[in-house]
Amino acid sequence: MPDQDISLIAHLMRRAGFSAPLEELQARAAKGYDATVDELLDPESQPPMERDIMMRYKADWLAQAGLEGQQEEWTFRMINSKRPLQEKIALFWHCVLVTGHAKCEYPKQQSMELDMFRTVGMGSFHELLKGLSKDPAMVFYLDNCMSHAGAINENWGRELLELFSLGVGMDGEFNYSEDDVKAAARAFTGWTVTNSIPRYPYGKYEAKFMYDPRDHDNDDKTFLGETGNFNGEDIVDIIVRQPATARFVARHLYNFFVADEPQVPAWKDSPPIDASAIKELEDEYFRSNYNITAMLRVLFKSDWFKAATFAKIKSPAETVVGTLKLVGDFKFPRPGLDMMTMNIRFMGQDLLNPPTVEGWHTGREWIDSGTLVERINFTADQVGNLNHSGVKNIINRVGSIGPVLTADQLIDACLENLGSYQLHQETRNQLVEMASGEGEIRSDAEGFPLQVATMLQSIVATTEYLFA
Amino acid sequence: MTTEISHISVQYSKTIGRGEQFGPGFNYPVFVARGKEGIMYVLCRGTEFRPEGVRVTVCTTDEEYVATFARGIDYQGPHEHNMEDGSLVWPTCIALDSQENLFISDEWLNRISSFSKDGDYLGKWEERSGTGDGELDRPSGMAFDADDNLYIVDCGNHRVQKFNKDGKFLMKFGTEGSGDGEFNMPWGITIDGNGDIFIADWRNDRIQKFSPDGTFLMKFGSSGSGEGQFDRPTGVAVDKDGVIYVSDWLNNRLQIFDAGGNFVGLKTGEAGISKWAKDKLDANAEMWDERERAQGLEREKDFWGPTGVTVDDDGRIFVPESARNRIQVYRSQSPTFAGPRL
Repeated sequence: MPDQDISLIAHLMRRAGFSAPLEELQARAAKGYDATVDELLDPESQPPMERDIMMRYKADWLAQAGLEGQQEEWTFRMINSKRPLQEKIALFWHCVLVTGHAKCEYPKQQSMELDMFRTVGMGSFHELLKGLSKDPAMVFYLDNCMSHAGAINENWGRELLELFSLGVGMDGEFNYSEDDVKAAARAFTGWTVTNSIPRYPYGKYEAKFMYDPRDHDNDDKTFLGETGNFNGEDIVDIIVRQPATARFVARHLYNFFVADEPQVPAWKDSPPIDASAIKELEDEYFRSNYNITAMLRVLFKSDWFKAATFAKIKSPAETVVGTLKLVGDFKFPRPGLDMMTMNIRFMGQDLLNPPTVEGWHTGREWIDSGTLVERINFTADQVGNLNHSGVKNIINRVGSIGPVLTADQLIDACLENLGSYQLHQETRNQLVEMASGEGEIRSDAEGFPLQVATMLQSIVATTEYLFA
Repeated sequence: MTTEISHISVQYSKTIGRGEQFGPGFNYPVFVARGKEGIMYVLCRGTEFRPEGVRVTVCTTDEEYVATFARGIDYQGPHEHNMEDGSLVWPTCIALDSQENLFISDEWLNRISSFSKDGDYLGKWEERSGTGDGELDRPSGMAFDADDNLYIVDCGNHRVQKFNKDGKFLMKFGTEGSGDGEFNMPWGITIDGNGDIFIADWRNDRIQKFSPDGTFLMKFGSSGSGEGQFDRPTGVAVDKDGVIYVSDWLNNRLQIFDAGGNFVGLKTGEAGISKWAKDKLDANAEMWDERERAQGLEREKDFWGPTGVTVDDDGRIFVPESARNRIQVYRSQSPTFAGPRL
């Protein structure tokens, strides 16, 4: 099959999943791009995770895992799920609709939230916002359980508008006012959670959402120009009809799946980098009745997506998970995954524990002198480990080119196996010089595996490999 | 007119334990072995984040703390584990020999370690990962027969192997599959008074019974949540009357069967405040207040992750719950008049 087919599938799997080894890319390319997109968008068509096996060997994943255990379990899912887009969409919404472990009574509550993202998160944004409003992790995180009729706490009402739906503004105009924040907060009074069972002696239990009508503000509210005795559902109903919400969802999808956009705080005054693409997504938002899968179908099948190769800096989660998938490690539960998961944290993305309710800034903000070193050290360690089955596979494939390889052949084969990466000419020249300096490259030589591994390590240390 | 009674009656007795990394308490308890004179050895699986929680807690059935021994691992990297003797990574089961020495299976190291009842490390069988005779792939449940031979559930190889106490391979039975005598990732094991062997055939959601030489005798159970059905049974135990108890893991219940494998009853959990739990709450009085305010406190009674089941000669049934750091104890009772108090 043509190389461009593999390269396009590699691009798709970096964005709609967490990359894939070459053998998977070839199988998907044979199936076809559109068919692969359709399969990714229909996760139920693929088998679910084998949770019984996961929990048998990792006993804490059943109920009691703390932050590290939850991170570990999620990482394992991202590596092994046969439904990669389902895990990717969970990561997407976790980065947008933020809760944090630092303010979470029961860590498993956040994993339950992720379960909602996996399912509802690919359906209607309307239903997702309603689910989020009743999510005990969110109700506690943004203090709605502390908001009462006559004594509102605006935290949830404010972030719902600012960070979870409308955004501060667009096209230079504000999307809502302070009065709208107060009205939203009043409408959500009475939306609370149950008192929890203390951690000792046996362990925590999840909280349940409760609606307390006695604590609800039943007076009229005016919200985004509409007036009535609104409850929380009414606020969500009004929100999802707003053009600003369509813009908000479209820009987030674009930033996460297509190309790095300016960060959220700048969206009021910074237009989208591809206004027509955003318009397509906005139109699909309304046409599909706010359906996320429909928007993603437009996105993944668009020319502007296909053209956006290497237009994003990989997030730490994408970096670590993609690398572990590539090298074939942790296909079955085993000790040591927690240390791998820690690398995501060290690279600046403490999953389930974001720095603020705004989540993580993305794009070039992932990279600083510290996180860059973490990335390079981690990926180089992994692709340089000759014991990994995925690395062995790569070496065998590279070696199958012939008994003698040119430096260009070695580099091209490694680039293809890493996901059809491309190098700037200057970078390539340096690698050619390095490979040529070691004499003839013979695939039957004892040192060949190390030669390949060294080339893989050199490529993952390049600037180009920071991008997805 | 007479009323016919069932001679199988099981009643909740008490709860033992609380969640603790150290000292009195448990950390992901997965198995209970009953020693002599009221001693219990509780195997705590722990987590990799807190290796000190990987241990054996020794206590009495009256919840008197005795000691802790064995330890988890400190590891230097994702592929570099401390393999020191006496270390445990993924401990799964304790089997007691006739001298009350403890043999502990480790399904990560493929290692069987032994300790004295006082916690002294005695030795280990050399690691023997593989599929050949005498080799192991994720050993889980274990049980000694009356001759001090050890049957080991060789989960990853979907079989049971028999060894002498020194680790010499004697025989094996079972292959991967779902037919009679075949297994899918089996877990728990017990040997009844006749020497017959019961296996919790985990991913086949059933219990199988074998003669001591591995001849298939019977099976019961199927996948589901109805009476007599299982969702990944972890442990099986047989009392002196032949009554069979099964920890029905993901259905969060204990099921009870007669000797023929016929469903008799089930328990979904009746946990109360244990002695150690009360000590903890008394020392942190605000937790009593929190409990009074808490909604859904009745959930605390229910089993959560029953990971094994053990019966003793006194008719007590011990069910460790890995997700709740405790053991619910039930008692097999005779329903007939036992005489007045003396």
